[in-house]
Amino acid sequence: MTAAKPKTWLARLLLALLMTVTLLPFLSMFTAALAPSGSYPNGLSWPADPQWSNFARAFEAANMGQLVLSSTLIVLGVVPVSVLAATMAGYGLAKLTGGRNRWIYLVFVAGLTLPFEAVITPLYYEVRAFGLLNTRFAIILPLIGLYMPFSVYWMRAHFLNVPNDLTEAAQLDGATRWKEFWLVQVPLARPAIMSLTILLFLWTWNQFLLPVVLVKDPSRRTMAGALGAFQGQWGTDVPLLCAGSLLILAPTVLLFLAFQRHFVAALLQGSVKG
Amino acid sequence: MAGLKLQDVRKNFGAVEVIKGVDLEVEHGEFVVFVGPSGCGKSTLLRMIAGLEETTSGRLEIGDRLVNDVEPRDRGVAMVFQSYALYPHMTVYDNVGFGLKLAGTPKAVRDAKIRAAARVLQMEHLLDRKPAQLSGGQRQRVAIGRAIVREPDVFLFDEPLSNLDAALRVDMRMELARLHTDLGATMVYVTHDQVEAMTLADKIVVLEGGIVQQVGSPLDLYNRPANLFVAGFIGSPKMNFLAVTVDSVTDDAIRLASPLLAAPAVAAPRSWMLPGDRLTLGIRPHALLLDDTGPIGGEVTLVERLGNETIVRIRLDAATEVTAALAGQRDVALGAAARLGLAPDDAHLFDNDGRRL
Amino acid sequence: MTDGTPLTDARPRALRLLPTGRSRRARYTAILFVLPAFTAYAVFVLAPLIMSLYYSTLRWDGIGKARFTGLANYVTVLTDPDLLSIIGNAFELVLYFTVIPVLLGLAVASAIRGHMAGTFGTLTRTVLFLPQVIPLVAAGIAWSWMFASTGLVNQMLTAVGLADWTRGWLGDFDFALPAVGIIGAWVLLGLCTMLLVTGITKIDPSLYEAARLDGARPWHEFRYVTLPGLRQEIGVCVTVTVISALASFDIVYIATGGGPGITTMVPGLEIYRLAFAHRQVGLASALAIVLMVLVLIAITPVQWYAREKK
Ligand SMILES: Nc1ncnc2c1ncn2[C@@H]1O[C@H](COP(=O)(O)OP(=O)(O)O)[C@@H](O)[C@H]1O
Ligand SMILES: [Mg+2]
Repeated sequence: MTAAKPKTWLARLLLALLMTVTLLPFLSMFTAALAPSGSYPNGLSWPADPQWSNFARAFEAANMGQLVLSSTLIVLGVVPVSVLAATMAGYGLAKLTGGRNRWIYLVFVAGLTLPFEAVITPLYYEVRAFGLLNTRFAIILPLIGLYMPFSVYWMRAHFLNVPNDLTEAAQLDGATRWKEFWLVQVPLARPAIMSLTILLFLWTWNQFLLPVVLVKDPSRRTMAGALGAFQGQWGTDVPLLCAGSLLILAPTVLLFLAFQRHFVAALLQGSVKG
Repeated sequence: MAGLKLQDVRKNFGAVEVIKGVDLEVEHGEFVVFVGPSGCGKSTLLRMIAGLEETTSGRLEIGDRLVNDVEPRDRGVAMVFQSYALYPHMTVYDNVGFGLKLAGTPKAVRDAKIRAAARVLQMEHLLDRKPAQLSGGQRQRVAIGRAIVREPDVFLFDEPLSNLDAALRVDMRMELARLHTDLGATMVYVTHDQVEAMTLADKIVVLEGGIVQQVGSPLDLYNRPANLFVAGFIGSPKMNFLAVTVDSVTDDAIRLASPLLAAPAVAAPRSWMLPGDRLTLGIRPHALLLDDTGPIGGEVTLVERLGNETIVRIRLDAATEVTAALAGQRDVALGAAARLGLAPDDAHLFDNDGRRL
Repeated sequence: MTDGTPLTDARPRALRLLPTGRSRRARYTAILFVLPAFTAYAVFVLAPLIMSLYYSTLRWDGIGKARFTGLANYVTVLTDPDLLSIIGNAFELVLYFTVIPVLLGLAVASAIRGHMAGTFGTLTRTVLFLPQVIPLVAAGIAWSWMFASTGLVNQMLTAVGLADWTRGWLGDFDFALPAVGIIGAWVLLGLCTMLLVTGITKIDPSLYEAARLDGARPWHEFRYVTLPGLRQEIGVCVTVTVISALASFDIVYIATGGGPGITTMVPGLEIYRLAFAHRQVGLASALAIVLMVLVLIAITPVQWYAREKK
């Protein structure tokens, strides 16, 4: 295709433009983060005297070490349990239930488009009744439930594509459903489980509404929730705020860069719910 | 030691009855083939024996044990699927040994059994591979290997050869026959291919529309088909059918007339027949001979020379053609007129309901 | 024998073994597999949803005694001018969150059809997905800075001689909502573009060749090959972006807090404010239910459009 040549060129230009637009806010934040603390820097200008120490100060001010720990704990509380429960349910709904029990699946799917704001008020009172307000469980437990529609939908879709023959072969080989699940289905579901894990990790790490409503102490929130508090506290000090924001978004970005391929695949497939 | 007994077994999918009351007995060590056109319920019946489909009603016994309510894993059966159904994430070794592992067989015993099975199936060199690295024929061996290590009472096969190419299919067919002799186990085999059925079976069960049409040895079915369906299904090329009327009945012959026939056909006598009865005359292509005074005459519309035999098709009228398989290399010209005859014993007769007379 | 069944056909009919123990056992197994997920879902989604419905019929400050008010809260939501304009804001955000990313994404996707291989492709994918990976809050902070009076937007306007146009965008009564919309567009643009680019590579290239042989102009190719081929992807993009516009919270909370006035207030944030600052739990719940229903109403036709062909 000779006609492709000029088009490639045009396409690259377009994409380069898009990339620039995407990156500018980060660049602007980065240069601002290097300006002297408390000053009012300009949009995009390399400071005369880059203040790298701003990052150290922001690290202190945001209590970064504690935040990473807290977010990690919350992710560890949410993701493995959600993935396991959803994988089991996905298998159960795809392979063990027939037409008469389809309503269970429909009940799950009904939650797919539910905005978290629609249940946040009762969740507050519920979590308070459980005595969990201001603990990490106030975020962990509701998130497990709130992620179920997507997770179950996701895993069921995977299991629907696994040939029934394999299930039947396992049954004849003497496997109980439980054994079949662990020895045949789970190993085969690894790509789907991997994608789900990445998505749930991102969504949990970046979750904002629940921490803001249910947990006051920023050191027990997710990264995103803590960032909200950080802005409230340091919002007027632009360099420090920018430095802190960059630090707070660094962990996911680094993970993303490291596992770029998996993340992109997961986000593309998983965008059924963004 | 296990035979198989089905009593008025039925299966409904929703409101549709797919298996309409099957009675069948299979002796221990028999090789039984279910054969019939696609969609007639062969797989369903096999899967009911395996326990993969529940029986809607009726009794199902394996080795004198009622198994309607027994899980597939406890029925002592092993199955080879058309798609092979190998576990993609396991090596051949693990695929074959999976059932033994689940049964808690000690490692050493398991290893010995897996290797023995691999030796029987000549696939020792494949043990470390994953299914994706195997050819169709090799996968089929693994699937069979997985069945035989478990030493089941009954082997079930669902069209195991239909994904293989023609040459491989013939090889595997012979291998299955050998395996049956070696193991002496009961085998139930599903196919839509009547050649496979004829070559492998001790006993053939012809199914159509969820109903057993006939049960018998391959030659039984060939020589004495119980009805028009079986007659048409078994044998290749297909049996020719002609509508005829009984002309006269004597002690040693029945004369059959038809506007299609150049001369009355003569069939061996049988009971309950009166002149004027309308029947269907069935003639196997291999029973027809060139005969200048024979009852069947017309224009030759097709000649296929296979060397060992010559297939000739003759047009009787616009809607009716008769196929003959003549032994050896015959000098028949396309477009010429030809006459065919048959021995009275080779005439199959069917009544108006399609039942054999 | 009153129905005249011939005696000869009186075979012992059908030993019925239903319902068998097997099917019962199978059902228990299925239940056990689904139960953990369903419990979590029931406790933290279904139960709160029912409570939301219940609260929405109350007049309650969250502490004292609640009073049943029937549908009064819904009447308020659907008649109060402030609340209506808040709901209107959410729909205005759809213009930015959905229309910009989908249109731009379509333009880019049809321009670069199939040129995403190699290092450049990987680089593009990585960069364009960055906004999906960071918290929305961070996007909000970054753009607050972009839109600030000394921020990059004003800097660039000044640079091209439009100094008159500079302003504190997020504090401007006319421009705050579009500015918030731009933030959402920025977040969703990469995702939509990548979805559409991936989708377009799945369209059979011979369709384009056939169209060209039939004398199709580029516009026709787009209209009759690209658009129908991307139906599903467009459906996904629209669904995702519409939901994030109608249910937006994070960005608005950080960037404007709903101000100035209520020009950028959205239902999500208003629910939070009503329930936890103004202690009007009933009204907040009614708004929550209305929001949920609005999302469903907005999404349903999109789903139909996306599915129609399949
Ligand atoms: N799970 C099922 N649900 C509904 N109908 C089925 C199901 N499985 C098979 N059938 C129907 O039962 C009939 C017999 O199918 P099957 O046993 O697979 O035929 P065969 O193996 O002889 O080709 C077919 O008409 C098929 O459509
Ligand atoms: Mg079949």
